[in-house]
Amino acid sequence: MGRKLLLKDINVPGIKSFEVYRKQGGYASVEKALKTMSPDAVVEEVKKSGLRGRGGAGFPTGMKWSFIDKKSEKPRYLICNADESEPGTFKDRFLMEYIPHALIEGMIVSSFALGAKTSYIYMRGEFRWIFPILEKAIEEARAAGFLGKNILGSGYDLELYVHSGAGAYICGEETAQIESLEGKRGNPRNKPPFPAIVGLYGCPTVVNNVESIAAVPHILNMGGDEYAKIGIGKSTGTKLISASGHINKPGVYEIELGLPVEEFLNSDEYCGGVWKGRKLKAVIPGGSSVPILPADLFLKNAKGEARLMSYESLADGGFASGSMLGSGGFIVMDETACIVRNLWTFARFYHHESCGQCSPCREGTGWMEKVLHRIEHGHGHMHDIDLLVDVAKKIEGNTICPLGDAAAWPVASAIRHFREEFEYHIKYPEKVMNPKHFEIEPFRSEKNLVMA
Amino acid sequence: MATLYIDNKPYEVKAGKNLLETCLGLGLDLPYFCWHPSLGSVGACRQCAIKVFKDETDTRGRIVMACMEPVADKQRISIAHPDAVEFRANVIESLMTNHPHDCAVCDEGGSCHLQDMTVMSGHNYRRFRYNKRTFQNQDLGPFINHEMNRCITCYRCVRFYRDYAGGRDLNAFASRSNVYFGREEDGPLESEFSGNLAEICPTGVFTDKTLKEHYTRKWDLTMAPSVCQHCSLGCNTIAGERYGELRMIANRYNGEVNGYFLCDRGRFGYEFTNSDLRIRQPFISKFPVTKQQVLAEVATDIKKGKVIGIGSPRASLQSNFALKQLVGADRFFHGVSDNDHNIADLIVKILKEGPIRVASMHDVQQADAVLILGEDLTNTAPMLALAVRQAVKQQPMKKLAKANIPAWHDAAAKELLQDEKGPLFIASINTTKLDDVATATYHAAPDDIARFGFAIASCLDRSVPSVSNLPGELQSLAQRIADALSNAERPVIISGASSQTQSVIRAAANVAWALHKKNKNTGLAYTLAECNSMGLALMGGHRLNSAFDAVMNGHADTVIVMENDLYRHGKAADVDAFLNKAKKVIVFDHIVHRTVEKAHVVLPAGAFSESDGIVVNNEGRAQRYFQVYECHEPIQESWRWIVDISKFENNVGMGWEHFEGLTRTIAEAEPLLRDINRVSPPASYRIAGQKIPREPHRYSGRTAMLANINVSEPKPPVDPDSPLSYTMEGYKGLPPSSAIPFFWTPGWNSVQSVNKYQEEIGGSLKGGDPGIRLIEPNLKSTLSYFTELPEPFVPMKDHLWTVPLFHIFGSEELSVLGDAVAKRAPQHYIMINALDAAEQKLSENQELAFDVEGQLYRLPVKISTTLPKGLAGLPYGLPGLPNVELPAWLIYKK
Ligand SMILES: Cc1cc2nc3c(=O)[nH]c(=O)nc-3n(C[C@H](O)[C@H](O)[C@H](O)COP(=O)(O)O)c2cc1C
Ligand code: SF4
Ligand code: SF4
Ligand code: SF4
Ligand code: FES
Repeated sequence: MGRKLLLKDINVPGIKSFEVYRKQGGYASVEKALKTMSPDAVVEEVKKSGLRGRGGAGFPTGMKWSFIDKKSEKPRYLICNADESEPGTFKDRFLMEYIPHALIEGMIVSSFALGAKTSYIYMRGEFRWIFPILEKAIEEARAAGFLGKNILGSGYDLELYVHSGAGAYICGEETAQIESLEGKRGNPRNKPPFPAIVGLYGCPTVVNNVESIAAVPHILNMGGDEYAKIGIGKSTGTKLISASGHINKPGVYEIELGLPVEEFLNSDEYCGGVWKGRKLKAVIPGGSSVPILPADLFLKNAKGEARLMSYESLADGGFASGSMLGSGGFIVMDETACIVRNLWTFARFYHHESCGQCSPCREGTGWMEKVLHRIEHGHGHMHDIDLLVDVAKKIEGNTICPLGDAAAWPVASAIRHFREEFEYHIKYPEKVMNPKHFEIEPFRSEKNLVMA
Repeated sequence: MATLYIDNKPYEVKAGKNLLETCLGLGLDLPYFCWHPSLGSVGACRQCAIKVFKDETDTRGRIVMACMEPVADKQRISIAHPDAVEFRANVIESLMTNHPHDCAVCDEGGSCHLQDMTVMSGHNYRRFRYNKRTFQNQDLGPFINHEMNRCITCYRCVRFYRDYAGGRDLNAFASRSNVYFGREEDGPLESEFSGNLAEICPTGVFTDKTLKEHYTRKWDLTMAPSVCQHCSLGCNTIAGERYGELRMIANRYNGEVNGYFLCDRGRFGYEFTNSDLRIRQPFISKFPVTKQQVLAEVATDIKKGKVIGIGSPRASLQSNFALKQLVGADRFFHGVSDNDHNIADLIVKILKEGPIRVASMHDVQQADAVLILGEDLTNTAPMLALAVRQAVKQQPMKKLAKANIPAWHDAAAKELLQDEKGPLFIASINTTKLDDVATATYHAAPDDIARFGFAIASCLDRSVPSVSNLPGELQSLAQRIADALSNAERPVIISGASSQTQSVIRAAANVAWALHKKNKNTGLAYTLAECNSMGLALMGGHRLNSAFDAVMNGHADTVIVMENDLYRHGKAADVDAFLNKAKKVIVFDHIVHRTVEKAHVVLPAGAFSESDGIVVNNEGRAQRYFQVYECHEPIQESWRWIVDISKFENNVGMGWEHFEGLTRTIAEAEPLLRDINRVSPPASYRIAGQKIPREPHRYSGRTAMLANINVSEPKPPVDPDSPLSYTMEGYKGLPPSSAIPFFWTPGWNSVQSVNKYQEEIGGSLKGGDPGIRLIEPNLKSTLSYFTELPEPFVPMKDHLWTVPLFHIFGSEELSVLGDAVAKRAPQHYIMINALDAAEQKLSENQELAFDVEGQLYRLPVKISTTLPKGLAGLPYGLPGLPNVELPAWLIYKK
């Protein structure tokens, strides 16, 4: 059994309530930080822990915090990014729904570290039912003196608000989220200036993922050095993985970073293997926006080494043969899955969610979706495949925010690794008429047939 | 300065600007969409991509958006690098996926920025094989046509409309490739500056609806530089004609005056020139006569009669002067009410004898603290209101430098500054549209506004008489304003003629002078009533009431009224008596009005589009408008009628023949107008031996357009008055800045070509911004403060102190005669305060009968909570609403 931090107490009855959470040792980090540490010392511990942002980009949290403009006389803000909307990712929801106080506790110590006196939890609008859960948790924490004025007599004040998004994925991008909180259209901002200098209401601001924030109390409790011992190399600590797709046990798992992917996929503690005894076809290891990997490249990197669940190992091989840990949205496809159909679904999603600000993303995502729709429905042309690659290439790296990249990478990688499957759709339109085509007869490479 | 290497060629450029404006300023071609010089950069469209290299050895470089990168010394960039070229072509390709390929039927076609940029980027082959997204269009009112399918989502429209012009009802809706720019529902665009969308939008989404009514390709228009006739600011315009009709007014950039924009009254008010009310031939006793007949008649009248001449604040200096010369200086009268006359004289005196240089609109834009006394600028001098909206951004902008954010980085500036506004204080009769950006406002009767102004001045300088018994909070507001003005680097005080109260104007001068003692950068601006009110005041002449007296007392019996409806300037009863008493009333005008109806002789004058003339704006800037197209015989400028009349009468004429001679005569005769010779190049001016064509070289159809009448093309008219030709032949390069008939440079067919006419992007035109300032301050001024403090306003039982309320659409005489503007004009009303309404048991829209100065009215009541108690607001100048000199007491009639 790997070490559990975030989900250690998930099965304790009543853990949603302040009382039980507190009894399990909850809010100890607040006491420790506010009574015995300076804000800078908290930042220091987080730096030492090597914690990397769990929202997808994996940027070191401690470093991000140290960028906050300390010279500014303006108020500072912490925003917890709870807009979790990426297809395949549902860990933040799980955490907030079942251990809400883990987030509240994390928000208090993180806000303290940053000197924020007002903090926001920006929550995906569709998570309606979690609102009362979080608001109740906030009320309980306030009643117990962990929020409000002069927390625990430390002189530190903090107000915490939960704010509802209105159903736009793009509002998960940190600067779009700031715009949205300000009451504006959720269009991402150009950077620089970075939020740490000019953020919410023009003030220094940090945006962190739910899971990143929830990890902070554990770091304080055990010490940054100790936390850094968990995991492997620069991938320290534990990570929540949202496992979905063709596996026996979909769900949210906490792993120690560095766990072999094979173990995660097959052991009964985690995914329990590919379902129905079918063959593994491909895995998207980090949420819909990261490159897809065919089974062989997923299990072993190009050099033949077994892959681990870590930022570095999954990225090994770069775009040619690697992928990313991303937000930990682990999507498994067995041999009945159609890569084209899956890609079309993603493309539809990204087109639908583009904010419509920069030309390459706004128009390119729609174009890719249309091309994929045609190919999947058997109306494609061979040159459409290269067109897709080209359109994706034009988007990638050329937009204001990474949604453009997120839309382009899956296309590029799917064609890179599964080009034949696209060609198959074009060559045999009658075979792909039925949307469940590969369930009826899984795709077999014609190259292999010839060779065999 | 910095050295910038563009494709390995060194250029000396200004540091701190962005690379896009720098490249454009150097005359290089680089396509862009979302950037606009007045809106700054947001980096959204990704069209302006270039390559930046680390150093000479870097061959890969990195793609950046030129509009988002500041110039750095020794920086190496490439516009021509294949990656950058490909990138830009790709952006266009992606934009084109959802853009209809039907330029041929698009109103923007051929003068379209998107077309230009597409050609420039080289994209020419379509790979997109799918349906395009389509939208439902909206009815946005009489000014602007909406065609959303053409949108490329550059966001310029909303950035202009909302961020720049303060409008609220146009917005960006929805997301992805489905972003919709429009209103929540159909309905007229509420902003007074909506017409600029037609020029701001780089595609055919927003276009000029009045042009559409009689559509002509823009390059098929015969165009001339013109000056707006619809308020005192003198915005520069391009006026375009086809088939003998004025069809379009567009912006003509002038860095000191209107910059890139116009107000909707200025842009759409031109329709009056095509109105059915136009006078197109001479009349004697209402019967049409020939030119010879009318000349004979008038010549005889002049010879026989005791003649006086009444000029006009909406006629050119040339016409006014010609009349003055014809009748003699002692018999020349200003055709404005005595109050307006006094106000204009007072303003001229303050500006000429005081120590402060008049603030241009550009100066106002740059001001970092503004005080407005008594004006509702949006309705009296609209573009000045737009300038004030920019001024409130100046103070907060100072923070940008500290945060290392360049001023052109609009996105970052907005993030940092949020809704922060600099100091703007407005004391006005009623709420104004600018109140939403004001730091504090005060609504009061004109005399109280004046007292408030005196109080501010006295806070600034104790030697200004203080105002006793001012309520405490007002006194502290005055102090607050004084402090804010004192702390500013470039404060500006704005007031004007619309409150029709001299004490308000004096108060503004006191504030400005007191401030000037501390800060030599203080600015002062006054608005006046009409496009040439200032010119008329500079020319001198007698008061209108003296003209009335002259006729009533028998000193005169023959009256020449030039381009003036006296019923707008005098009380109806007085004007009636005057016109009835005069033996002969001769009117020159282009449009029928009540004075014309009473005239014995009517001569058809040219409207501005058919005339050459100079008008002087509120800044004292003399500006010339050129004839756009030859008048239809026998219409001609009033001044040309006058020379014809004098020739008919005495065979000698006036000593001048054409515009130039006349202008020279004015400069010699009128000391204050001495410099008007320099306003425009002489008629003999040639570039490379060529004239300046009024028609673009793409002008089409000239051999065909009159072929139904005569197959041989008529000889083009000759213009004796200017170096402009009536043809497409002539010099193709840049004309002198005061004589630009249209903007065009190779590859730039849209108005964006103006970039190439400027010294630096957004700066002055090459060769200097047009216009000659006639009023310079007296730096050694010993003028002492005004001391005439008015009494506080005290409401009177059963009376209301009636003040004029102005409407951008409706209050101005000419623009409201066009269909589009007329549709936006309000109904007649009388506005009173809710408390007065309650006292009189009046409800909204209930009819109220009342008397002002003997003039009877019966008008629906509009109840206001912001108009001070004891006042009534009477809309100014609405067609059909009798004029009366205000402010004055209203008495209820039962
Ligand atoms: C299109 C888009 C959507 C995103 N959605 C989320 C999200 O739902 N939750 C999240 O934590 N981060 C999301 N991010 C990443 C955030 O921009 C940001 O990097 C993150 O919240 C930082 O937190 P971390 O450093 O703790 O990971 C998104 C980014 C993009 C470009
Ligand atoms: S990349 Fe897409 S989502 Fe991001 S700012 Fe540009 S248009 Fe919006
Ligand atoms: S309507 Fe015009 S200005 Fe507005 S976004 Fe579309 S193309 Fe740009
Ligand atoms: S502000 Fe005045 S001068 Fe300028 S366009 Fe409008 S009406 Fe004409
Ligand atoms: S003009 Fe530079 S990105 Fe639009």
